Amino acid sequence: MKKFLLAPGMYIEFGIATLLFVINIVLTLALPYFTVHKAYYDSAAYIAALSLIFLIYAVSVHMNKKKSTSDIAVVIYAFFAFWEVAYKTGAVRNDLLIPSPEGLFHVFVDKPQEIGADVLGSLQLLFWGFLLAVVLGTLLGLLAGWIPRVREVLLPISNAITLIPPLMFSAYMIMLLSTFRQAAVAVIFFAVFWPTLQGTIARVGQIDKSIIEAARTMGVGTLGMLAKVIFPYCLPGIIRSISKSLRGAFMCLSGAEMLGMNLGIGYFIEKYKGFADYRCILAGIVVVGVITTVIDIAVNKVERMVIKWEV
Amino acid sequence: MGENMRDLSDSPNKLEIRDVSFDYIDKKSRFSALEHVSLAIKEGEFVCILGLSGCGKSTLLSLLSGLHKAKSGEILLDGKRITEPGPDRAVVFQQYSLFPWLTAKGNVEFGIRQSGRKYTGKQRKVKAEEYLANVGLAGAANKYPGQLSGGMKQRVAVARALALESDVLLLDEPFGAVDPKLRLELQELVSRLCTEHKKTVVFVTHDIDEAILLSDRIVVMEPGKIRTILNVGLPHPRRREDLIGTAAYENLHRKLIASFYAHVEDNIDSEVIL
Repeated sequence: MKKFLLAPGMYIEFGIATLLFVINIVLTLALPYFTVHKAYYDSAAYIAALSLIFLIYAVSVHMNKKKSTSDIAVVIYAFFAFWEVAYKTGAVRNDLLIPSPEGLFHVFVDKPQEIGADVLGSLQLLFWGFLLAVVLGTLLGLLAGWIPRVREVLLPISNAITLIPPLMFSAYMIMLLSTFRQAAVAVIFFAVFWPTLQGTIARVGQIDKSIIEAARTMGVGTLGMLAKVIFPYCLPGIIRSISKSLRGAFMCLSGAEMLGMNLGIGYFIEKYKGFADYRCILAGIVVVGVITTVIDIAVNKVERMVIKWEV
Repeated sequence: MGENMRDLSDSPNKLEIRDVSFDYIDKKSRFSALEHVSLAIKEGEFVCILGLSGCGKSTLLSLLSGLHKAKSGEILLDGKRITEPGPDRAVVFQQYSLFPWLTAKGNVEFGIRQSGRKYTGKQRKVKAEEYLANVGLAGAANKYPGQLSGGMKQRVAVARALALESDVLLLDEPFGAVDPKLRLELQELVSRLCTEHKKTVVFVTHDIDEAILLSDRIVVMEPGKIRTILNVGLPHPRRREDLIGTAAYENLHRKLIASFYAHVEDNIDSEVIL
């Protein structure tokens, strides 16, 4: 079976990663606790997480055929093994700050609805703020990039504003706007709008002059130039910048949520900080990491689907 | 010989350049690229503009295309003054200038759309395929410019220019970036297509052989001015291997070389004086 799944010369790496995966399972099931802890958690959720990681690893090593994929899996499993051993042998003294890996992943069994609702809430805010910012930033950027007079007004203004961290607006936005949701959307908007505008202006400026001339000789007017020539020319750059600004937007969102929201993954973390439940805080951090990674991968997929002409 | 000779003496003027001057202006200086140039081009005529780099031949073409505006004088197309670029004058550039986000077929379809003629989407697709087949690229219709070689890109650019269905075709050193073997193929292709589609052609080049092979008349330029105009008077279609060695060809070649050398001597003189 493996013959079909793996490229030649990768069996050793795959074997080591698989072995470490099995060792982790054995450790969680068979290694006894050498010291007394405040709480003990069932291994099921942790084993499920380890297995999920293994599944993702197996699929990606099959697809990308890179040795480094196995190396990454080895590093992850070694980290978990180290954590597990350190916890069970009592090398970790502070139960409260550093939970066991079983305890961390058990949060997802304890509070699936709460986490789900918070993730959904965050993603909704992210979607609206981001959509507004990208659409407006791109439209205005195309216009400003093409018309020098608009550009000369917008560029210095945006240069000044982008230097202010968008999170600094959030306290004021919460006061100004009627709901926390609107405030969070506004903060995301500011985080994404100005970089998108500047990036688009820069890309329009870099457009190959001969392409513009070719379009002009074919009788393309101003609107057609913007919609049918400059926009598609800039599209790869716009999509590429999306993954970068999405990351920034998510950071701002989590920050804004921590400052005073009643929903969202940032709020989740902030809430359990209040209860000093660091197990839940860590679980929230894991969720944030997973979401940003998934978004990143999705954007890359979209990029490859839309931009067929740039290899 | 007479059968394939083009007789254009009764044809009306398609393009008229009347006493045109043009300056390039930057912040500090002003450079006169063309000074009082006049030239009439007949309908269906193939005119090559021949000259060394910097003589203003590409400038003249960009005035014809409307990308630049003359400082003084006027350019007429069918008796009407040219004020801006338009799909009635198709242009092929040296650097291809294809749209990288469209396939070969997409690029040609773009030209068909800009032609202003009413075609349905289906007709456009069929036409685009026809034009690509015309330039020998039927198999590469769905390739993007980034996947094509230089010669293939220039074929797509020619197909896109034909798709505009304009009477006038302007080419600015179109084969300058193509390797010599392919250049000959492309020259014959353009020559054939322009005859078939009855185009009025202005073709800018610095290649003497190319000018003789393609044109009815050769306009030799020196910086800012027309030095001389030669009638080629050879039958179409021409093939390079048939031409080389014939008395008519050698005669033309000698005349063109002489006018080039005269120009070089002028340059040397002026440098010596300075």
